[in-house]
Amino acid sequence: MQEEQLTTAQQLLAKLESSELTDIKTLQELAKKIVTESTKKESRLKKVIKFSDHQSLQLLTLHKELDIYKNHLEEKVDEGLSEIKALNKEIEETQNEVIFTMGAIGESRSKETGQHVKRVAEYSKLLALHYGLPIEDADILKQASPMHDIGKVAIPDSILNKPGKLTEEEFEHMKEHAQLGYDMLKNSNRKLMKIAATVAYEHHEKWDGSGYPNAIKGEDISIYGRITALADVFDALGSVRCYKEAWPLKTILLALEKERGKQFDPKLIDIFLDNIDEFIAIRDTFKD
Amino acid sequence: MENLNIEASEYTPKIILDVEKGLIDIRGDSFPENTFDFYKPIIKWMESYFSNGDQTVTINIEINYFNSSSSQQFFDMFDIFEEAVQGGNTLEINWLYNLKNESAQEAGEDFVEEFESLKINLLKK
Repeated sequence: MQEEQLTTAQQLLAKLESSELTDIKTLQELAKKIVTESTKKESRLKKVIKFSDHQSLQLLTLHKELDIYKNHLEEKVDEGLSEIKALNKEIEETQNEVIFTMGAIGESRSKETGQHVKRVAEYSKLLALHYGLPIEDADILKQASPMHDIGKVAIPDSILNKPGKLTEEEFEHMKEHAQLGYDMLKNSNRKLMKIAATVAYEHHEKWDGSGYPNAIKGEDISIYGRITALADVFDALGSVRCYKEAWPLKTILLALEKERGKQFDPKLIDIFLDNIDEFIAIRDTFKD
Repeated sequence: MENLNIEASEYTPKIILDVEKGLIDIRGDSFPENTFDFYKPIIKWMESYFSNGDQTVTINIEINYFNSSSSQQFFDMFDIFEEAVQGGNTLEINWLYNLKNESAQEAGEDFVEEFESLKINLLKK
């Protein structure tokens, strides 16, 4: 029914108003038409309401099904996530253990303790943080620095564990451990392994360029190499080695200060001396 | 007389009114913001198209979900189809519905019941 058309009831009303109605028969016909029209309209209205109810019910059912799927999906995602997190933790822990073990292998060959690599790791992280490196980088350095002497696995026992001073030839041989360690680690694409390779390569370089294997100096030595160099020497001086006794703390600090700007990055020496209590705390925690 | 094609939107069906092919094809969901305005040109087209009284036309309607004002418009369309047949046109009317869509199926059955003079085919998809 188009809106511009008049309904029968409207037509009837118009005719009544204009007194066009002359006989009862016309009136009866119009009344019949009204009844027919309204019956039809009522029937359609009922159907429209029925459609509407059916559609609403169907949409509601779909909504509920969707909610069930959504909840199910969320549960699955959560399950998957916790599984991934657990696996990730497992992988990280395994990685850390492997790294410490690798470091300890290097150390054990030269009768140094596994605690040495742990202390060097902790000192390195602390120096990195005070130096201003982001926590992520400090953590990676903590993991990488225990591998600094891994190249020593390729140095003969006779040199590694020789009591007393090495001959010049023996010392040249010993120095190769930096290059050897670098060659072992350099082929990985992992950031951690790349840093470990750099640390192995550079931890005997000196700030003034008198170190080995490449005699590079200053900031040409990466910050990771400079940090590990200081951490390693600080720990070595305080430990008993096959060629030396442990030095008293005061002597160590004097020696390190003397090497400020020579063997070591002056900024790192300043950081180290300013925060010496924190380094001593680490040394006490990881005693041999 | 020109063809009338309306692309589907999120809330309105795709509509093809093709003079040469003798095709009226309406498919999709129907929840127009203003249902009367949306269907007005379509109803007008149909009225004008059938006015000659010698058309042979295939009509396919597949509406999955629709609001109640859309169903009122469908009644109006079926009224036009009924008049078209009375006026000498030949119509093949297909009401298509998805097997899983009970309410679309029931709507088709109700149109069959309401328009006894029309032959409406209910086709499952």
